[in-house]
Amino acid sequence: MRNYPAQAIDPKAVPYWRCSAAIESVLLLLIPGGYYIAQQHWQHWPTWITFVLLFLTLAYDIFAVVFQPEITWRTWRYEVSEQEIDLLHGVFIKTRTLIPMVRVQHVDTKQGPLLRRFGLSSVTISTAAGNHEIPALADEVADLLRDRISVLARVVEEDV
Amino acid sequence: MYKPQRVHPMAILQFTLRTVYSLGQGLIPLLLIAFAQPEMRRWLFWGLPLLLAFMVAYGILYWLCYVFYISGQELRVEYGVLIKKKRYIPFERIQTIQISAGILHRMFGLVKVQVETAGGGSQAEFVLAALPRDIAAELQHILQEKTQHHEEPGNETEYIEYKLSTRSLLVLASTSNGIGIVLSAILAVISQLDDFFPKADVWGKFAAYAGHLAAGKISLIILVVFLIILLAWLLSLLGTIMQFGGFQLRREGNNIIISRGLFEKHQMSIPIKRIQAIKVVEGLLRQPLGMVSLQVVSMSTTGMKEEGNVLFPILPKAELPGFVEKIAPEFTMSMKLHGLPARSKWGYLLINTIPALIIAILCTVYLPWGYVAFILPLLGAALGNAQYNDAGYQVENNRLLLRSRHLGRVTFIIPKQRVQSMHVSQNPLQARGNLSNLRIAVASSNAAATVQLRGMDIQKSSVIMKWLFAQRH
Repeated sequence: MRNYPAQAIDPKAVPYWRCSAAIESVLLLLIPGGYYIAQQHWQHWPTWITFVLLFLTLAYDIFAVVFQPEITWRTWRYEVSEQEIDLLHGVFIKTRTLIPMVRVQHVDTKQGPLLRRFGLSSVTISTAAGNHEIPALADEVADLLRDRISVLARVVEEDV
Repeated sequence: MYKPQRVHPMAILQFTLRTVYSLGQGLIPLLLIAFAQPEMRRWLFWGLPLLLAFMVAYGILYWLCYVFYISGQELRVEYGVLIKKKRYIPFERIQTIQISAGILHRMFGLVKVQVETAGGGSQAEFVLAALPRDIAAELQHILQEKTQHHEEPGNETEYIEYKLSTRSLLVLASTSNGIGIVLSAILAVISQLDDFFPKADVWGKFAAYAGHLAAGKISLIILVVFLIILLAWLLSLLGTIMQFGGFQLRREGNNIIISRGLFEKHQMSIPIKRIQAIKVVEGLLRQPLGMVSLQVVSMSTTGMKEEGNVLFPILPKAELPGFVEKIAPEFTMSMKLHGLPARSKWGYLLINTIPALIIAILCTVYLPWGYVAFILPLLGAALGNAQYNDAGYQVENNRLLLRSRHLGRVTFIIPKQRVQSMHVSQNPLQARGNLSNLRIAVASSNAAATVQLRGMDIQKSSVIMKWLFAQRH
């Protein structure tokens, strides 16, 4: 394989992912919580399932909050050249994605409320066969990247 | 043509039927419930005709409000009874124009015109439900002339035609997958009989009758099953013959023009520029007969339906290169493939046998005669072996060919400039063996237009990556 794409995504992505995973994990706790309430109500439901559910949820939460953000950040790389957009991501299954610049239809930057708190944006690249996202870049970097791709995509116009 | 005009009044019938159909789907369960109760039946007696009259009135209003015309470089349609809708389609957005005629249409000398645009989703398509043949021809002429205005003029004299022979049609019909669908439909109807006529006790009577007749002979049951399967097969045969009878295809300049259908005629023109890839399918039944079928991957809304993708329904494999060269020389390729490295064979074998092995073990443990299920892993291994042997790729000039097999063997021919994105992925096992999965995404009206080749040598994947971005000279 040729050289890996050069750019990493913004380090602030790690606390951002931690934060969003934490919110998600609070919501996930509703599952064992809900079961506990139901079990109190209908006494003949087994109690041990509460603990199994709680254990599974907590295990997942710890993984999602403590380990996953760091690993994901380390495995995400991207590079934009004149001819192509080159993405590499995936923890177990590593996927390298190449998008010819000519095929790019449009580029968007997106920012949810949580992303805004961290000063981050995501960049979405659309082709006729689907979208590709670079998840968390600093606002200025994302804006520059979007403008750059949009200019490049226009320059390398070809017969489509 | 340039003044707003209505479609033929025959369309009222179609508009009404459409309302009845869409409303009816939701109402049928309600009606059945109502029908079962005597006091409700009286209401239905008055309500149903009233509802029907209302629908006919709506159909007429809809027809009155439905006008189309050409203005400047646009085809415009205005419709809607309560909410007025206007749709303007610039000529250059028009993908295909399809003309078809059902039995009703033919009785009045009418045709249906469907104009397809690129944006996916069924909304993008619009339909002029009924037009006199000459007006439709004029419209088609104007639209096609304008859409091709700024293309280089193709050789207008070039005129190659392929017809589907009767023999091919029979082979096509008898090996089509339709049998499964029809069979399940028949079974579904039979199983519903009891629900519709609860008092009749169809099955009880049938069983009693069968028992009486055969006095416990199993052969009768086998005969009945055989007859049902035969009936399903005949129905699917008829269905295919009606759909693909009289299939003709010709290349005219930059368009491929297809017409098909025995009773309901369909005509469709596909601009060669719109074809994203050509797909050659060799089904399990057809491969031993040396037959292939050709499909196109394109962005038109007819492509959402299976038969809309068909380029040529069945063709002897030996004729394939000649066919492609004449009809779509833009896609000509030699069919000599590079296979996969021997070390990727394990992946194919394991992925096909392990789930089957687990099922077989479970069957052996829990079912009497369960060990018979051990035939599954064997079949899986055979399939895995076939998948490994058939998988391959070829790069030639500006075209890429990928072949793989799920059950049937599928070959894709993709021009370089149609590749929307390329993905090379590795799981940890593949990373150790320097293997990879190669995935190519092309644009299509169906979401899943990705072509995948598992177990590519990572070096070869890199070569294809480089090829994709090599500057053209």
